[in-house]
Amino acid sequence: MAERSSSKVGARARARRGNFAPVSLLRVAAILLLWALWEGAARSGWFYEGALPSSFAIASSGFHLLAQPDFYVNLGVTLFEIAAAVAIGSVLGISVGLALGASRFAGKAFEPYVQYLAPAPKIIFLPVFMVLLGVDSSSKIAIGALSCFFPMALSVAAGVRQIDPVLLRVGRSFRLTPSQTIAKIYLPALTAPIATGLRLGLGVAIIGTLLSELQMSNSGLGFLIMQDYGRFDIAEMYAVLAMVFLLAALANGLIARGLRIKGR
Amino acid sequence: MAAVLSVEGVSKRFATSEGPVHALDNVSFAVRSGEFVSLIGPSGCGKSTLFNVIGGLVGGYDGRVAVGGETVKGPHRAIGMVFQEESAFPWRTTLENVAFPLETAGMAKAERLARARDLVKLVGLEGFENRYPHEMSGGMRQRSSLARTLAFSPQLLLMDEPFAALDEQTRLLLGDKILQIQQQLKQTTLLITHNIAEAVQLSDRVLVMTYRPGRIKRAIEIDLPRPRSSAVLGSDAFGRYVAAVWQDLREEARLGLSESEASLGNRP
Amino acid sequence: MASRDGASPGFAQRAAPILAGLLTLAALALLWQAACRAGYINKFVAPAPLDIARSFPHLFAEENLAGRFFQTFAETFLSAGLAVAVGIPLGWLLHHKKLAGLAFESWVGGLAAAPLVLAYPLFLVLFGRNTATIVAMSFLSGLPAMVLKTKEGLDGTKRVLVNVGLSFGLKPATLFRKILLPAAMPSIANGVRLALIFALINVVGVEFLINFGGLGELIDGLAQRWELPSMFGAILFVILTSVFFFWATGRVEKWFHPHG
Repeated sequence: MAERSSSKVGARARARRGNFAPVSLLRVAAILLLWALWEGAARSGWFYEGALPSSFAIASSGFHLLAQPDFYVNLGVTLFEIAAAVAIGSVLGISVGLALGASRFAGKAFEPYVQYLAPAPKIIFLPVFMVLLGVDSSSKIAIGALSCFFPMALSVAAGVRQIDPVLLRVGRSFRLTPSQTIAKIYLPALTAPIATGLRLGLGVAIIGTLLSELQMSNSGLGFLIMQDYGRFDIAEMYAVLAMVFLLAALANGLIARGLRIKGR
Repeated sequence: MAAVLSVEGVSKRFATSEGPVHALDNVSFAVRSGEFVSLIGPSGCGKSTLFNVIGGLVGGYDGRVAVGGETVKGPHRAIGMVFQEESAFPWRTTLENVAFPLETAGMAKAERLARARDLVKLVGLEGFENRYPHEMSGGMRQRSSLARTLAFSPQLLLMDEPFAALDEQTRLLLGDKILQIQQQLKQTTLLITHNIAEAVQLSDRVLVMTYRPGRIKRAIEIDLPRPRSSAVLGSDAFGRYVAAVWQDLREEARLGLSESEASLGNRP
Repeated sequence: MASRDGASPGFAQRAAPILAGLLTLAALALLWQAACRAGYINKFVAPAPLDIARSFPHLFAEENLAGRFFQTFAETFLSAGLAVAVGIPLGWLLHHKKLAGLAFESWVGGLAAAPLVLAYPLFLVLFGRNTATIVAMSFLSGLPAMVLKTKEGLDGTKRVLVNVGLSFGLKPATLFRKILLPAAMPSIANGVRLALIFALINVVGVEFLINFGGLGELIDGLAQRWELPSMFGAILFVILTSVFFFWATGRVEKWFHPHG
């Protein structure tokens, strides 16, 4: 009973302090201001013809795009590539992360190299993959998977080191096989680091995959963007880009929500 | 003897999420020149509020606070505040910390460093001028904060449980140091504390506060001889004074305890 | 972890894994070299380590590796410099105006998470295929970190330190200069380091994508000409210099808060 009343009091206090409304008002005001600046710049003639289209032009391009089946084909390609990249990258990342975290020696010997390679932009390896795997989705998936691998491996390695050693000793006392140990002790204890690795990995996988699509330019949303660039259909290019950003934000938000539900 | 500090009818209320809180109710007392007065009360009696009021950090109260005859309307040059928490600037050496108020007042470098050195010597930190706070103990850090506060020879030294975070032995030795400094400088001091032995050891007068709303319940004159040191802890008179303070304090402390127990009981 | 007998078993313990890692790398390189020699690996896909090593003199002499290095790092420092110049005041603003902080901090975080680099075709349209595009994109990549770290540092100043300043009657400007800013310095230094790191990564990436600039352009050019040993050599060079850069900036950052 007291718990309910104290949270009600908190909410009342917040409303009384007026915390909620001014923040939203300010945000709305900021959005309106930015929009006005955009429209102003678009019509000003500072940027050469068409480089900064009006938001209405972008919106109408967007709607037009959503009506075309071609768009959904490419969207499907992109989504498939990202999903495959994340799946492959995560599995590899978790495996290597487990190995690096479980053995202190292996960790000290090899993890630095993972750390050194992690920040490098993986897109620079695209030419090599194109020769190895061909000029199709598999190269793009490879870059995406390579990108996703690093944050996952590092996150899992760190997570393994955080596991209470007592739990591992319990496993040994029950004489669990290595695969049982992994399944029944490591993995459950690693849900949080894996979720974090997934969140970071998804972010960079999206970047890697889409950059590959932009460079290879034969299918996917990246291809649409490059096509628009080539035709100088800038309004549609903005529209597709906006959808890509929306996609990334949604993916991020979904995982964050999943984390919150799990973490409680 | 003139009153350096005059607190007249101070009342303060707060609005909190649980409703209005009456922190202080008609608090009145005076501290004379050269006197060492301790203010002691149970947790929750409004001591820290009173500290902030006197120091000019908090407004919106009824009544008046005056230092050296002037009404306090904000932080005042004549009041030197020593805070409960660690307040030495971590990015400055001891000497730089102590010289800080002199620096912001625009004193020339050579002059302020010389004055700072004197103050460092006064609090017994000679040799540690170029150490950083993280290289010193808690007691030493509080001593450097004290030296910093004394930089402008404030009329009133106002301290809020400065030894709360220290262990007992350090506390006693620091108490000796404070006594020595106070007696040397004839510094008018108001110490806010919850430690009875400390209050009796250091003060000429102990003011006991009631539980919320805070009022001055009783003033007890401490007639122990001066100069004093921590050796006084063993004397009979000391024991009697401590008992007298505790007698007044106990029922206030009990009130505070039962209220906090009641609120704990309400939580799951 | 000092040893008891004064010799250094501690050092050996620490060195062993590092040596093991390096030896493994060397062994893999040898295997690779042998496999290339024997024809198991197509050197037009994955060149032999020796060829990669031999490409370095060529890279320095004909491909102007040193000049490109300076160009890339100049762009990095320019981008990060802009991020710092704009980010610190913005971070201060979000700290000083509580309402703005509450409203917009999450937006800055969102900007940090957004895949800005994907918009490079857009920047090409707006700025052209030149340094401006590179610097604009790298500036934006480092900006959120600078803003958030500045706000975090200023917000995190212990209340009692501010009270000390108030008790000495300091004016707001003096309070900021002498207390808030030094207290926030460790966070701000960290923000500057992050801005530098994000800028470098972005500069190299965008140079590659738009085929203009220093090291990134070199990698792209070599890839297009299919000079694989040189391309891998250039990639290796970029990785080595960036590792050194991360270490060096870390050291400089530590210099800003030796006192914890």
